[in-house]
Amino acid sequence: MLETFQIMQWPLLACLLLPGLLVYLGLHIVEREIIFVDLSLAQVAALGTCLGILMHYEADSWESYALSLGFTLVGAGIFTFTRTKSHRVPQEALIGIVYVVTAALGILLLSRSPEGNEELRRTLIGEVLLVTPAQVLRTFGLFVAIGLVHWFFRAKFLAISFDPDGATARGMSIHWWDFAFYAMFGWVVTSFVQIGGVLLVFSFLIVPAVCANFLAEKLRSRLLIGWVTATVASVAGLYASYAIDLPTGAAIVCALGLALLGTIAATSFRRGSVL
Amino acid sequence: MKTFLRNFLTVLLGITAVAASARLHVVATTPDLGAIAAAIGGDDLDLTVLAKPTEDPHFVDAKPSYLVKLNRADALIEGGAELEAGWLAPLLEGARNPRLERGKPGRIIAAEGIALLEVPAVLDRSQGDIHASGNPHFLTDPVNAGIVAAHIARALGELDAKSAPEFQANLKKFETELQARLAGWQRQLAPYAGRPVVTYHNYWIYFGRRFQLPMDLFLEPKPGIPPTPAHLAGVITKMRADHLRLIAVQPYQNRKTAETVAGHTDAVVLDWPSFPGGPGTESYFAWMDYLVTTTAKAFAAQP
Repeated sequence: MLETFQIMQWPLLACLLLPGLLVYLGLHIVEREIIFVDLSLAQVAALGTCLGILMHYEADSWESYALSLGFTLVGAGIFTFTRTKSHRVPQEALIGIVYVVTAALGILLLSRSPEGNEELRRTLIGEVLLVTPAQVLRTFGLFVAIGLVHWFFRAKFLAISFDPDGATARGMSIHWWDFAFYAMFGWVVTSFVQIGGVLLVFSFLIVPAVCANFLAEKLRSRLLIGWVTATVASVAGLYASYAIDLPTGAAIVCALGLALLGTIAATSFRRGSVL
Repeated sequence: MKTFLRNFLTVLLGITAVAASARLHVVATTPDLGAIAAAIGGDDLDLTVLAKPTEDPHFVDAKPSYLVKLNRADALIEGGAELEAGWLAPLLEGARNPRLERGKPGRIIAAEGIALLEVPAVLDRSQGDIHASGNPHFLTDPVNAGIVAAHIARALGELDAKSAPEFQANLKKFETELQARLAGWQRQLAPYAGRPVVTYHNYWIYFGRRFQLPMDLFLEPKPGIPPTPAHLAGVITKMRADHLRLIAVQPYQNRKTAETVAGHTDAVVLDWPSFPGGPGTESYFAWMDYLVTTTAKAFAAQP
């Protein structure tokens, strides 16, 4: 019993401390209706890691992290400048293409490296069970910093996501704030992918936000609902992972999925519900 | 002049043709088989190894060049016992080389002639990805390397009768060196007989049997399934109870899992290369030497 607690304690802390910022950013993403940008950015970041592996840097060295980040910034640039108003070329299509092409490029790069394959698989599934205290604290520090930036400039960031037309009318430089948003967003995603993998980061970003959108209108309420959903689902997933002997990351993703099902069931009986 | 040139070129071509065909084109699936084949055949072989030394031998990525190599091969040396079951068959189908069909002299299956361990009585998926014919990682026991070397020397000799005496001579050298080194390795590890080593996958059972190092605690709960919290907790509990301090991981396995467990149990993580072929471990003997020496050193360093 003691051993289990010792193993689960840092994964638990990671799931309690880190999803906070992810939920908030998820609300932005859902509002912008570009759901797959996080999968794409995570894949672009993974491409940076693949290049690092090819150049013989360890997966958790600072050089590898710097490469990931560099690629993420390029990705952020791409997404900023492809935010089209035209519906003939929806931005989601470009995002999907970036995802697929970077995934293929990653495979090509790793085919040249001795240990390639395994790293690629691990980026997808993640290793939240094996997270180190240093990783959790470092990432939490980063998230607090980015959270503070978003707090200080909340008027601007909320405007470009929730009221882009109004923002343009007021003369804001959308492109510049968009790039700042995507760059920080990419940084957050890159950091969390190294802990939880692509599936888990996507789930924490989108599922609590969607649950919140089902249940509330005001941003503050949505944030609260999102945070509660993320916390409850994490704890449930971690517990199930221990009790029924399941891989941890996948268990949390499924718990989030169940939370969404529960939300849909609850709201479909309410009058005036979104469904 | 023209006649002279024509004759000269013919003779030249003839010589190169003979020289080219004098080399047997051999493909080995894994680097340990490759290392033994190289020791037996030397320069008489044009040897290609498919799996990289750092790759997981159960799942090797097929590359287009493999099809070409297999198509041109005179002989294929595979481990057998279903080690390559996940990836070799489609390659062979694509290569369309009749010399490599089962039963033909060009198809050399190393597992024939080896007494396999852990042949399962009950076979179903509830045990994870299990090896149906027994544990196929038999070359981790040096004695089996001798058996496989003799098998390869015989088989290659059948394919290339002219070089057969040379193969037998190399075999003799290999066997003599093997006997000498085996005695040394057993001396090195004798003081630590009975001390278990925790490994990730059940890869080293033959090594463990030869040098009396029990290996029945694995970081993988079932072969091919990633570790879960309950399983790792169980491993940690057992390691603490039995004072186990050595965890061995292979290059393609998740070192982080081993490090996490080591962190909770004060253990040391050893890097055991799965195959020869890395820097400093090019030959079979160099590889086995590295394994034995680092293990002995790690045991010696423990209280």
